[in-house]
Amino acid sequence: MTPAIISLNKICKIFPLEIGGEQQVLFDITFKINSGEFVAIMGPSGSGKSTCMNIIGALDSATSGIYELYGKHIKTMTNDELATIRNEYIGFVFQNFNLLPKRTVIDNVMLPLMYRGWVMNDRIRRAREMLKLVGLSNFESYLPTQLSGGMKQRVAIARALAGNPKLILADEPTGSLDSKMGNEILNFFKKLNKDLGITIVMITHEFEIAQYAGRIIHIYDGHITFDGPVPKNESVLLKSEQDYKK
Amino acid sequence: MTFGDILKESWLSISGNKLRSFLTVLGIIIGVMAVVIMVAVGETVQQSISDQFSSLGTNTIVIRAGAARRGGIRSGNRNTLTIQDAEQINRLPDVAAITPVQSSNAQVIYGNKNWSTLMLGAHPDYTTIQDIEVEYGNFFDMNAVKSAATYAVIGPDTARELGLPENPVGEIIRIQNMPFVIIGVMKARGDSTMGSQDDMILIPITTLKKRLQGSPFPDSVTMIALKIFQDADNAVVTDQISALLRQRHRLKDGDEDDFQVTDMKQIMETMNTVTGYLKLLLIAIAAVSLLVGSIGIMNMMLVSVVERTREIGIRKAVGARENIIIIQFLSESVLISFIGSMFGLVFGVGLSQGVGRFILHYNVPFSFWPVLLSVTVAIVVGLASGVMPAIKAAKLNPIDSLRYE
Repeated sequence: MTPAIISLNKICKIFPLEIGGEQQVLFDITFKINSGEFVAIMGPSGSGKSTCMNIIGALDSATSGIYELYGKHIKTMTNDELATIRNEYIGFVFQNFNLLPKRTVIDNVMLPLMYRGWVMNDRIRRAREMLKLVGLSNFESYLPTQLSGGMKQRVAIARALAGNPKLILADEPTGSLDSKMGNEILNFFKKLNKDLGITIVMITHEFEIAQYAGRIIHIYDGHITFDGPVPKNESVLLKSEQDYKK
Repeated sequence: MTFGDILKESWLSISGNKLRSFLTVLGIIIGVMAVVIMVAVGETVQQSISDQFSSLGTNTIVIRAGAARRGGIRSGNRNTLTIQDAEQINRLPDVAAITPVQSSNAQVIYGNKNWSTLMLGAHPDYTTIQDIEVEYGNFFDMNAVKSAATYAVIGPDTARELGLPENPVGEIIRIQNMPFVIIGVMKARGDSTMGSQDDMILIPITTLKKRLQGSPFPDSVTMIALKIFQDADNAVVTDQISALLRQRHRLKDGDEDDFQVTDMKQIMETMNTVTGYLKLLLIAIAAVSLLVGSIGIMNMMLVSVVERTREIGIRKAVGARENIIIIQFLSESVLISFIGSMFGLVFGVGLSQGVGRFILHYNVPFSFWPVLLSVTVAIVVGLASGVMPAIKAAKLNPIDSLRYE
């Protein structure tokens, strides 16, 4: 049995409200993700799926509960230790790409390697490998503003892969792309998962996109209503929502 | 992250917003330039005063007659000093050279030219005391003093104003209608704080007192100037002179001196203190502009942190630790300061040296310490200005930063 690299146990998240008071967005979230899985965390807007991803990505901390990433207790870590965890274990792909607009494509891809302390020659070599992998070898000196949306997302994927992470966290990765480009990116994720064994956790609110994964964790109103292999149609997920409401 | 990475990242961030960076750098340029120029001005004033006193000699003492008080009012120029006073002072062991001096205005005529100038009656030692050298001819000797000879040594400006030939030795000029033979022309010495040193006529003091002034008190003089040996103590000699003159002038205890003893070393020290304060004041004024410049950096960096909130979030998401973010922002502010200070230094030194040499025709002293000070101040100002924005950037929550629009 493959070991669990992500383990969430009774994770709760409460946000203070600006107008006073507080709002709980996650309730006792518990699941494990094993190495090599392709998981889609799905749910409607405001369900808490992005908050869940931020906790998994060590960008945010849970209010209560235990989160372990590769067996490490995240809650007890300092900000700098979390930064190191993000740098070494996780590659992020965001809906709006989050590239540095005034740095060239290759500079963006090399960014995590710079913070890892690699020497320049190694950084360049690795970044070129990644750009070749995503089919952007000829664009390394371009600025992100000179690229199309699909190309930007491929640069973001190259950056996420540059540090050779065990886990890729993708937050609505096709949200800013047309369907053709979106399918291309999703197929690329599938290929990375299958060929390189990279664990992928993808946030989406669309069932069609979640179908590229092997497992769906459906969150509704801060609760997990479904966790299992991808069902044949979305009605199973909608039924789980209805069951929760009851 | 290497030092090269930090420099590259800083440079890219600064050059990413050229106009704003230029304006911020301009604040530091003006600040550092002001400091450098003010230091140069202060040092020039100090150097100039020091040069003039050096030309007189710090081992020079001047005794002026008539500083007695009558009914609480300081009297004018009573001729309480005599040639005999000078002779007695000359017996003091530390006195190297001494001369009584009588000054007067003189109307001088040569051919059809007429010129009003300062005339000094003195002894030959005057040249030693005032470091006067002759360009042509010679100075008069004690025989000329004893015989009240009608010899004159004239300044180069006076010679020019009178239209004398380049070497006027042997020419006859008329001073108050009395013919004088020019026996020497002084070397040019330039202006001093007391006016031109090159427009004057020197004649034997006896000639001035007896022949020109026909004074009923031919031995009284307005001033005695003397030079003491280099190793002598000015204060000790000054006290000895005061004691001697009080005894000779029969002044009782409680009577005020009827003379003034002025020690050039003491004056120079006082002037140095005054110019030192002046220099400090100028630097303080200039430092204000540097402070304003540093506030400009802090302002720019704070704006930059807000503008680059998302960038900070991205950097943190891919693994930048807090100290790396701090170093990056600090290095940007230090780099801005450093660039500004280098340009400020070049412009400041260039302007002060250029204006000094080509407009004022004065060699402005160049000191290394303003250079060192500017670079140090630039680094300190850069660090100080960048600390708050850098900490602010480092403490940003990565999630909030990534969401920032």
